[in-house]
Amino acid sequence: MSGVPAQRLTRLDAMAYGTVGVILFFGIWSLLSLSGAVPKQFLPTPYDVASRFVQLLSTPFAGATLQQHLASSFMRFAYGFLLGAAVGIPLGLLMGWFRVLDEIVSPVFDALRFIAPIAWVPFAALWFGTGIGGPILIIFAGAFPPCLINTYRGARFVSRPLIEAAQMLGTGNLRIILEVLLPASTASIIAGLRISAGLGWQSLIGAELIVASTGVGFMMVQAQLNMSTATVMSVMVAIGLVGLLIDVALRWIEAAVRQRGFA
Amino acid sequence: MAAITFDAVQKTFGGNIGVVALERVDLAIADKEFVAIVGPSGCGKTTCLRLVAGFEFPSAGSVNVDGRRVSGPGPDRAVVFQQFALFPWKTVFANIALGLRNKGVGKDERDKRVAQAIALMNLQGYESAFPHQLSGGMQQRVAIARAYVLDPDVLLMDEPFGALDAQTRTEMQEELVRIARLNPRTVLFITHAVEEAVYLADRVAIMTRRPGRIKEVIDIRSVRMAEKWDRHELIEDVMDLESFIHWRTHIWRSLREEKSGQDR
Amino acid sequence: MSRRFVIGLTTIVALAALWYVATIPLALISPGRFPSPVDVWISFRQVAFAGYANGLLYQHVLHSLKLVVFGFLVAAGTGVPLGLLMGWSRRAEALINPVFLLIRPIPPLAWIPLAILWLGIGDAAKIMVIWFAAFVPSVINSFTGVRTIEPSIIEAAHMLGTPRYRFITEVLIPASAPMIFTGLRLSLQASWTTLVAAELVGALYGLGRILNVAQQDIYPGMIFVGMACVAVLGWATTRLLAEFETFSLPWIQMAREY
Repeated sequence: MSGVPAQRLTRLDAMAYGTVGVILFFGIWSLLSLSGAVPKQFLPTPYDVASRFVQLLSTPFAGATLQQHLASSFMRFAYGFLLGAAVGIPLGLLMGWFRVLDEIVSPVFDALRFIAPIAWVPFAALWFGTGIGGPILIIFAGAFPPCLINTYRGARFVSRPLIEAAQMLGTGNLRIILEVLLPASTASIIAGLRISAGLGWQSLIGAELIVASTGVGFMMVQAQLNMSTATVMSVMVAIGLVGLLIDVALRWIEAAVRQRGFA
Repeated sequence: MAAITFDAVQKTFGGNIGVVALERVDLAIADKEFVAIVGPSGCGKTTCLRLVAGFEFPSAGSVNVDGRRVSGPGPDRAVVFQQFALFPWKTVFANIALGLRNKGVGKDERDKRVAQAIALMNLQGYESAFPHQLSGGMQQRVAIARAYVLDPDVLLMDEPFGALDAQTRTEMQEELVRIARLNPRTVLFITHAVEEAVYLADRVAIMTRRPGRIKEVIDIRSVRMAEKWDRHELIEDVMDLESFIHWRTHIWRSLREEKSGQDR
Repeated sequence: MSRRFVIGLTTIVALAALWYVATIPLALISPGRFPSPVDVWISFRQVAFAGYANGLLYQHVLHSLKLVVFGFLVAAGTGVPLGLLMGWSRRAEALINPVFLLIRPIPPLAWIPLAILWLGIGDAAKIMVIWFAAFVPSVINSFTGVRTIEPSIIEAAHMLGTPRYRFITEVLIPASAPMIFTGLRLSLQASWTTLVAAELVGALYGLGRILNVAQQDIYPGMIFVGMACVAVLGWATTRLLAEFETFSLPWIQMAREY
């Protein structure tokens, strides 16, 4: 008996337990639905959801098929996320290096930080109507802070000896930022990107629930108004899958970068 | 009190394709004897201690304390860890008292014994301090006090001074000798510092590199008695003695053989 | 007064001045787009004393606050024990983790339509969504808290003969406490985000409701007031949590967080 946790499970045991867990989950769900304990209208069976999901791939709902809605959503997400990174990372590096910049930006950032990204929706609607600018603003509001914070932290806490060595060699400021701070903060930056992606994707969904005419968020609202629970759940699954893929892609990048020895 | 025996002990980690940490260990430690195990890194000396502590179990053979097989950790075999392992959220007093509370010792008796342990380890005034407020040396004193207050049959010390700086280390070694003479009990002391082992122990067991075996056991006590090491108060005076140097060098050479085998 | 404080204050004051100048004398920004400080003040007075969107400011604030706090407490109250259990028992982890991994990728806000379908646009639906959002960080961080306990601490506790109940209350929980609090901070953040979103989608009262109505009324001053309230309340509850953390963990030297 040493360390935490006390027991060690074999691979097989772990898989067995896991399978039991998953079976229990779907089993109870199906039971609740089939037995009528919860009306079918509110809780379709897992099978119903799965078949609806497949159906949505070919049959349009609320103006387009599932993939088409996903594509519009993803485009908006991509713009907002990349914008957040394009602003957050350089700014974070600069703030990490130039103390004055840090002192000027930080108070403003701290004040705005507590505004939930979704709270920008009214202004976004006011300024951009139903144009693409609206969702991008919201996604930016969600994706920008983690990028900035993580990059800043990475840059600020680069080990002193590294910086001193560069200065001793007469390296100019820009060079230091690009060739010392940036590589040294890579791990932190990528961690920030992963968090940003998650928050950005979520902010997008939120925005689409309120102001959109295409996209998965919009699709869910329409499905809810139509009392089509199976559709709502199918879209939720799709959203989860895409979110997962985005995270996996970033994790892959993280691992690739780590291999190259930056982090 | 108790004796420790290792009977044809073998330990493999990680199942079939695992690492053999201990090939075969036979060792008998008498009651109230202070035995140190030295050996190259990774030789399995810490594993030996953990087997007595009950944190690990042998793959073959048996480890017995007082004739009974070790079946798990317990306050009868108190452990002093290299990393101190004090509970950061408890005060010095609470850290030392926990073992007694677990034993069901009543408050008055408990307070008395904790106070004694604190006095023994020169920790007066620090009862309400938290571990992070203390230096490494002081934290280890608390750890030792925590062990001593249990009045254990066996004291297991796993490179207890390894995390301390050289000066503090020397102070602690002198402290330990003082306490060990005052309050003798069975001690199993793991270290890779040969001088420390020769200074502190009654017998020193030398382990081979992995997979570990006991290569040689040296009776230091008889030398210490014969040459009257205890006449000298300061460590540096003892370490200057010819007899000390002789045995220290002997053990060094023995370890060097092991090390060079390792580098192949 | 530290240099950082002075520069920070100067920046804020400068921005405020810029705001005033740009919106009133120079009228660079049209009032239909962004409110002037005066507009904001008027809106604030209106919602605070006369009422807006079916209620006075304090009523809306109280309503949102109640939901956030309740949702947060329920989420923490269920998430932390579950995380601790999963951390300690590999069996529990093996059983629950796969299901957890299935549900986790779905962003909390994506539960809003389903919640409305099931529970309408009342408080219950909000609580449900907040629970989903705040539950996950609590579980994950409590789990990590247990898994990252220094093994020698656990061994020392066993060596001292600590019985199970005492082990959980006096060793496991305090040792995991720092990470548990990290999870709580994230849970609180998630609670606010989700509540505001849920109230924006459909609600009768609350800060999100104010934002919603203000948007439809094209009333930038009120939008600003709503956002400012969200920020202030978010900050205040976060501070409260931080104070509670300092109070509960006196032994930790808190590293200054950015």
